[in-house]
Amino acid sequence: MVEEERMYAIEVENLVKKFGDFEAVKGVSFKVKKGEIFAFLGPNGAGKTTTVHILTTLLKPTSGKAVVAGYDVVEDAREVRKRIGIVFQDPSVDRDLTAYENMLVHGGVYGLKGRELKEKIEELLKFVELWEFRNKLVKFFSGGMQRRLEIARSLLHHPEVLFLDEPTLGLDPQTRAHVWSYIEAMKEEQEMTIFLTTHYMEEAEKLADRVAIIDHGRIIAEGTVEDLKKLVGSDVVYLKVENGAECFETDFGSCVVLPDGRIRIDVSNASKAIPRIFEAAEKRGVKILEITYHRPTLNDVFLHLTGREIRDEGGNLMKGVIRARMRR
Amino acid sequence: MRAFEIMVYRQVKRFLRARSRVAGMIINPLVWLAFFGIGWSNAFRDTSIFGGVDYLTYLSPGIFAMTVFNQSFVSGISVIWDREFGFLKEVLVAPASRKETIAGRIFGDSAVATIQGAIILSFTMLIAKINILGVIPALGVGFVLAVAFSSFGVSIAARMRSMEGFQMIMALVMLPLIFLSGAIYPIAFMPSWMKALALINPLTYAVEASRVLLTGVSGIFPLHQSLLILLILTAVMLYIAMVSFERSTVE
Repeated sequence: MVEEERMYAIEVENLVKKFGDFEAVKGVSFKVKKGEIFAFLGPNGAGKTTTVHILTTLLKPTSGKAVVAGYDVVEDAREVRKRIGIVFQDPSVDRDLTAYENMLVHGGVYGLKGRELKEKIEELLKFVELWEFRNKLVKFFSGGMQRRLEIARSLLHHPEVLFLDEPTLGLDPQTRAHVWSYIEAMKEEQEMTIFLTTHYMEEAEKLADRVAIIDHGRIIAEGTVEDLKKLVGSDVVYLKVENGAECFETDFGSCVVLPDGRIRIDVSNASKAIPRIFEAAEKRGVKILEITYHRPTLNDVFLHLTGREIRDEGGNLMKGVIRARMRR
Repeated sequence: MRAFEIMVYRQVKRFLRARSRVAGMIINPLVWLAFFGIGWSNAFRDTSIFGGVDYLTYLSPGIFAMTVFNQSFVSGISVIWDREFGFLKEVLVAPASRKETIAGRIFGDSAVATIQGAIILSFTMLIAKINILGVIPALGVGFVLAVAFSSFGVSIAARMRSMEGFQMIMALVMLPLIFLSGAIYPIAFMPSWMKALALINPLTYAVEASRVLLTGVSGIFPLHQSLLILLILTAVMLYIAMVSFERSTVE
């Protein structure tokens, strides 16, 4: 394959991964263009991390094919490893070393040394605003600082493709926004392809050029954020009514009753549709208790496709916190 | 060689940082020396069973080897912590040779274990009759021993799927190997089944060799033979560790 002709940084075909009887990834296919940010959006346990582990050569697929940066992840694992960087979901910094030493060790494992390495470390620690804390032990870093260090570290060997597995999991909203700004800057300045997994829809909306929505090991929709939102309609109206909820009027667009008892109607224009919804309700003697509407989000798209919400399961987050504390 | 070098650096740096852990690892052998050693030393009036030296002196090389053994085995098996907490994944996605990387970690850990052995030896010299000229060669033996058991620890860790078996392995491996090494009592007096086990224990050869070097008391093998067997066993264990680590995954 000629280097210049390669359009895609990642090409995945019918990838399957089974753990015993459990099929974590059930035949996913997608392509990621060079230089774009591609997000895998889905709830916990959807198969996102398993996919990342296959693409980064940590796991062998049960079947299917994956090519990253032009090389097959199974046959040319070493060539792939040279060209990728990854920020894992769980913290993977060395807590007993300083930020600078963490960078040094990582650089060493990638065969970098001498002045070139030192300059690169300085540049990247400045990029993530940790240069002044370079001689501080990482165990005294906040979660956000550790994440930033991991991001800087993953850029050290200038990867073609960068994998970020839930890069802002467990961070507070302010720190999350901070990390996002680095990811955006990274795409601009370093000209790399970024593959991101997340279960925060805002994250995918904010960062991704294209999004694949994954659920139970399958990609259920793929496209730009705008494309995906079009699946729902232009506006979403939520109704809370007295007594049993049922779709009393379907003229406006697709209507579903949500598990929490609310009614969701997808409409093309909420401000015009709402008065008509009131009229229709009155005609049928349905009493509306509450009405809200908003532009569709990726969460609505997910809801539309699966009937469930992408929720941040608190349990899993707690697990992350406990694991972080268990570290020596 | 860059990955090897940097892993040695990492292990030594981490050791220098974790002072409280180091203190904990040193207190245990000192307790053995002071209470077990001095206590029995006064009880054993007949020194002939210990090759003509008092029991404390006889025990000292055993405690030195035990210290190095404990430390290196625990470091080796702590690769499993690296897996649990990400650093292992870091290494596994890197293009560096996994064999080289783990060998670097093993040698770094071995340097650390040898330093701890040296600290114990310096305390020992104050209370037991140690041959000063034997100290440096004994540290060399300690280093080889450490490579053997850090490798052993890595090989076990590479096969472990969770932390759950950790306590059991410690109980199953650590104390029995110490008792079966001649560190605490002479192999010569062991019943034959125990002696057979002692002879397949790499720790035995390190204890024997360092005892000759530090106290002049010879055991059942001549020095050069103990050293040769120890080196061969160590090379085999290192190789097994490198291969096991290469095959390990994050599953």
